[in-house]
Amino acid sequence: MNIALKFWSGYVRATHRWPIIATIVPFIPVVAIWSIVANSGMFPRAFFPAPVDVMRSFISLTYKGILPDYLQDSLIRLLFGATIGVALGIPLGILIGSSRLAHRICWPVLLFFQAIGDIAWLPILLIWFGFGLTTMTFVIVYTVLFPIVLSTVLGVQSVHRDLARAAQSLGASPIRVLWEVTLPGALPNIITGLRNGLGYGWRALIAVEIIVGTSGIGFMMFDARRAGSTVEILLGMIVLGTLWYIVDAWILAPIERATGQRWGLVTS
Amino acid sequence: MKTLSLKNLRKTYFDPYAGSQVTAVHDVSLDVEQGEFVSVVGPSGCGKTTILNMIAGFIPYTGGEILIDGNLVKGPGPDRGVVFQSFALFPWKTVLENVGFGPKMRGVPKDERDRTAREYLALAGLSHAADRYPNELSGGMQQRVGVVRALANNPAVLLMDEPFASVDAQTRMTLQEELTRIWQERKPTVIFITHDVAEAVFLANRVVVLSKGRVLDQIKVDLPRPRVWDHLIEDETFKRLSAQVLQMVRAA
Ligand SMILES: Nc1ncnc2c1ncn2[C@@H]1O[C@H](COP(=O)(O)OP(=O)(O)OP(=O)(O)O)[C@@H](O)[C@H]1O
Ligand SMILES: [Mg+2]
Repeated sequence: MNIALKFWSGYVRATHRWPIIATIVPFIPVVAIWSIVANSGMFPRAFFPAPVDVMRSFISLTYKGILPDYLQDSLIRLLFGATIGVALGIPLGILIGSSRLAHRICWPVLLFFQAIGDIAWLPILLIWFGFGLTTMTFVIVYTVLFPIVLSTVLGVQSVHRDLARAAQSLGASPIRVLWEVTLPGALPNIITGLRNGLGYGWRALIAVEIIVGTSGIGFMMFDARRAGSTVEILLGMIVLGTLWYIVDAWILAPIERATGQRWGLVTS
Repeated sequence: MKTLSLKNLRKTYFDPYAGSQVTAVHDVSLDVEQGEFVSVVGPSGCGKTTILNMIAGFIPYTGGEILIDGNLVKGPGPDRGVVFQSFALFPWKTVLENVGFGPKMRGVPKDERDRTAREYLALAGLSHAADRYPNELSGGMQQRVGVVRALANNPAVLLMDEPFASVDAQTRMTLQEELTRIWQERKPTVIFITHDVAEAVFLANRVVVLSKGRVLDQIKVDLPRPRVWDHLIEDETFKRLSAQVLQMVRAA
């Protein structure tokens, strides 16, 4: 009992100093169980590979440069699509959020298109644009756009009307009201939207790469299926999870927290 | 010289659900002199906020005129400083940046507007809070910032809509005393809306009583300054004036 408590307190202090421990430790049992099942002989190894096999494949594919190349391809596609999505989404969100007329006109249309999932566009996109970057970019922009627009609208609407009025009465022009009040006020929501959008975009990208890709992590996984390489499929899945975890937990979430909490806009 | 002049001011709201017009302000005429402190009281729904919002330029008026130093009001502008019941401080700006916001919009360079802001913060006894964010301040402190933020912009008229309604009773009395002190030092022209009769009399040179979108009556308040609650609370003139205004409001 005493020892358990001591161990627990040591763990809490260690995770406080090195937060990465808190991320890794919960995966130890997962990997352990996986390893035991794989080594038990219950399934053939080629059908259900062990963690070491995946590790070996990771090292070999990294060494050959295939994995880094594919990863880079995927990330650049995501970044490209996301940039366009942000560039379209934030202004659109501000327009819809601040103009009642624009809201009335755009909102139903927006919800309609949101309901048509990203992947549902693929058949028609393949006919229009073929198997290539245009199709992929379209899907990512499409996926990223909605969470950003919707959160921006929410953010703009959540800015208290008196704040804009105060700024106007202090001599701010409409542009400055936008810059000094509307944008900062909506920022925490915009970042939440960006975070969600990138998450959905990342998933959509993999799906699209599986169908239309000639490179990228999704393509790697689909290609591995053709070759019957379960190891590479699992590797792809683990890379997806790990990468998103890093981006979300280490970059996006802290930014989101920092903006909202500092100003007391988010209570947590 | 008349700083603010309302001439036959009228406001009807359109209610799109009922498809009908609601007249909130029927016919209000009022002249306010430079450096005058005017309190406006009246029962709930008599149009106080509507009038103030029209003067501020936040909502258009249906009829009549609003003139500031002879110029027709067409929208919000820095010649009319507004203090909000909700404080309306910018949460992402420090106290200093909040107070310096008006000068910043006028293009005053940073050093100079920081100096102005500090000077006004000192006026409100808030020098120590300059680098804090609004959410780190108490309600009373936030509204002090709200008041000096408006003043720092040197408006022709200061418009206040129940600015002390959302702070506790003790803080409210302190804020009222501070406001009279600041008013005496700077002599801004003030329109102060409240439904607290004692507050109206305590602060003002003149109390305007509204009823159903019209001016019912006006009373001059010649109480000596500086005004402090400890003295006035027992003062016969103060009591008599307050009772008089209260009667008018209740009859309104
Ligand atoms: N946006 C609006 N649309 C329709 N009617 C309105 C609107 N704003 C106010 N009114 C109506 O106009 C009248 C005056 O409202 P106003 O807010 O000016 O009153 P007030 O004197 O400030 O009241 P209170 O003391 O409760 O703040 C009320 O009958 C109100 O219902
Ligand atoms: Mg009101």
